[in-house]
Amino acid sequence: MTRVIVIGGGWSGCAAAIAATKAGAEVILLEKTDMLLGLGNVGGIMRNNGRYTAAEENIYLGGGELFQITDAVSRHTNVNFPGHKHASLYDVTKVEPRVRRLLNELEIDVRLMVRAVDVEKEENSIKGIILSDNKKIEGDVFIETTGSTGPMGNCLKYGNGCSMCILRCPSFGPRISISKRAGIEDILGQRGDESYGAFSGSCKLNKDSLSKEIQNKLNEKGVVVLPVPKEDVKLDKLDLKVCQQYALKEFAENVVILDTGHAKLMTPFYPLEKLRKIKGLENARYEDPYSGGKGNSVRYLSIAPRNNNMKVLGIDNLLCAGEKSGLFVGHTEAIVTGTLAGHNSVRLSLGMPLLELPRNIAIGDLIAYANERIKTKEGLKKRYTFAGSEYFERMKKQGLYTIDKEKIQKRIDRMNLLNIYNEKLL
Amino acid sequence: MGDLKLKCVDAGSEFCPCYLAETNDCITCSHLQGKDFCDCNWTGVCIYQEYVWNGYKSKNSREIIGSKIINKKNINKKCVLLKLKVTKTLARQLREPGSYVFLRNPNVSEYFDVPMSVMDADELNGYIYIAYKIHGTKTKKLDESNKNVLLRGPYWNGVLGFKNLKTTSNSNCLVIARGIAQAPTVLVVKKLIRNNNNVTVILDKGNINEIFIEEFIKGLNVNIIQENLKSSKGKFLVEKALKEEKVQLVFIGGSSSFQYELMKKIDGLNLNPKIVITNNKEMCCGEGICGSCSIQLEDGSIIKLCKTQIDVEKLLKGGLR
Repeated sequence: MTRVIVIGGGWSGCAAAIAATKAGAEVILLEKTDMLLGLGNVGGIMRNNGRYTAAEENIYLGGGELFQITDAVSRHTNVNFPGHKHASLYDVTKVEPRVRRLLNELEIDVRLMVRAVDVEKEENSIKGIILSDNKKIEGDVFIETTGSTGPMGNCLKYGNGCSMCILRCPSFGPRISISKRAGIEDILGQRGDESYGAFSGSCKLNKDSLSKEIQNKLNEKGVVVLPVPKEDVKLDKLDLKVCQQYALKEFAENVVILDTGHAKLMTPFYPLEKLRKIKGLENARYEDPYSGGKGNSVRYLSIAPRNNNMKVLGIDNLLCAGEKSGLFVGHTEAIVTGTLAGHNSVRLSLGMPLLELPRNIAIGDLIAYANERIKTKEGLKKRYTFAGSEYFERMKKQGLYTIDKEKIQKRIDRMNLLNIYNEKLL
Repeated sequence: MGDLKLKCVDAGSEFCPCYLAETNDCITCSHLQGKDFCDCNWTGVCIYQEYVWNGYKSKNSREIIGSKIINKKNINKKCVLLKLKVTKTLARQLREPGSYVFLRNPNVSEYFDVPMSVMDADELNGYIYIAYKIHGTKTKKLDESNKNVLLRGPYWNGVLGFKNLKTTSNSNCLVIARGIAQAPTVLVVKKLIRNNNNVTVILDKGNINEIFIEEFIKGLNVNIIQENLKSSKGKFLVEKALKEEKVQLVFIGGSSSFQYELMKKIDGLNLNPKIVITNNKEMCCGEGICGSCSIQLEDGSIIKLCKTQIDVEKLLKGGLR
């Protein structure tokens, strides 16, 4: 039996673990914190703009499990907010236990508070992962889904310091780049001014700290847009953000708040005193990151070079997904790349050709497009998401964006890829 | 693969970051080694963050204090036992295995600072106990003081494999010490007993010609055996203890050649206990600056043993043998 080791239990790691299990592998998932989903525990936005298409594509490809969960725990569906249509907002307080239960049901060996720190290599293959307690876990194929956020020194040098985000580095230890440990240099994302990394794009307020009126509106509609006092409007702040799909003028002139269980404030950080000048936010306090008044986590400092089938270049048996695999933004992007990497891990172990998704479906095109762009200077400053910015424009132009499920099903069927992720290969 | 991840025994303490951070020579933090991105394995509050918060400066370094000699006893001609008065805080900081301080006769300059293992620490009353062998210039000058000494500390890297000591509990442990290395053994035994281990202590007088730690460990419910470990009887005794008692941890206090021989024996018996040894390198500044404690590892890298914690196995593969 093939043993697949997934390093990192965020959305892409969970998706990879599920897909590899379904394809017939024995899977061990290593996660350094005490919770799965990583930054997915403070996220929540699904199905906005082209993410709807991508989610449906992945479902028809046979990788629907995680989308079923995010749909099932959505507090709101079909929400529109500036620049975005038909979003679903999952409840961050409900989603992680559901995912954990699913992984248990699939008998995936989930190891929490287990941190990978190094690799043992033989020629171009990884033989095992060394853990922080010096124990070794051996496997046949490895999937790195450690993301690109933090740790503290990076958040300080390229951001405003540790803002105490959900990853809790001081409690659970630093993220370590497995591909780098294996001798492959990381690719670094940049901002417009060519400095490295970018801030996470949103922070979360404690909903109970907002006015009753705003709470009610959030519970009812899922979104509240409040004007920023003129003296506090800062357009240049948009350049800091990871999430260029939210880097619109509307997001500088207003605060946009979404209901994900927390009140998700669509800005990387916002000084608390200024925030409290806005009507209804007089008593606001931050939920995540705890120091959202000052900064946010810094990302995109650790991307592995890869093929379009998610295999890391230069290592025979390492795949990657999620933010580790490109300048991607979002849970949907993590899940779809994770699913492909998980499926391909079993193919790799069997010596089968790896699956590369065609460019006439959105997922295949995003994976290939991001890979082309990351090789260019300008491309390093962009982020790639189905939800907006450069890639969503492309999706529309290429005729890939649709919310017609039947059309998406036909598209997948025509490629002969319907339910391919459900095939047991071993 | 890649660089060895090193752990500094001072990381996270009130003395971190130190001067090494200011010169991009930090043992642990990649930023403070002049690199651009995080690549460390330190699991506490970020050292780089502490450095920036401290205004891009190192924190206070250890102070030199005067310490009163409460009691000075000649164990024999060559070996002296000191009881020194210190603050309760310092005594508390020196109660873990591997603690050491620098001592000096107040009438001489800092060239005479000599590193001394703390044998025992009384944190309730503020005393530490030191045993030293009169050996060279530094200890001969130190021995001339009868009322006061100058003391610099606390330092902590006097045993290697400290993590093994911390993580062993409810197990059988074998503690072996020879000569003056009996001194650092007391805190080791106390730590193992605190962790509910079953401890056998084999002591060898060595060239000190005296067993001097019995009174410090006799109330601790340990099995104490005295034997010449270089004799065939002693060697047999160690082998028997290793084989019969399912020993999970072995502490070896003694010279490096003594440690190496015992390690070879353990390997030969196909046993795999955790190993802890005394750190025998000559310390001079204790701060990772002077380089007198540098050793080269198998991969060619140089580490400073006054502060760097490293697996005993890695060390023995390199230069210590």
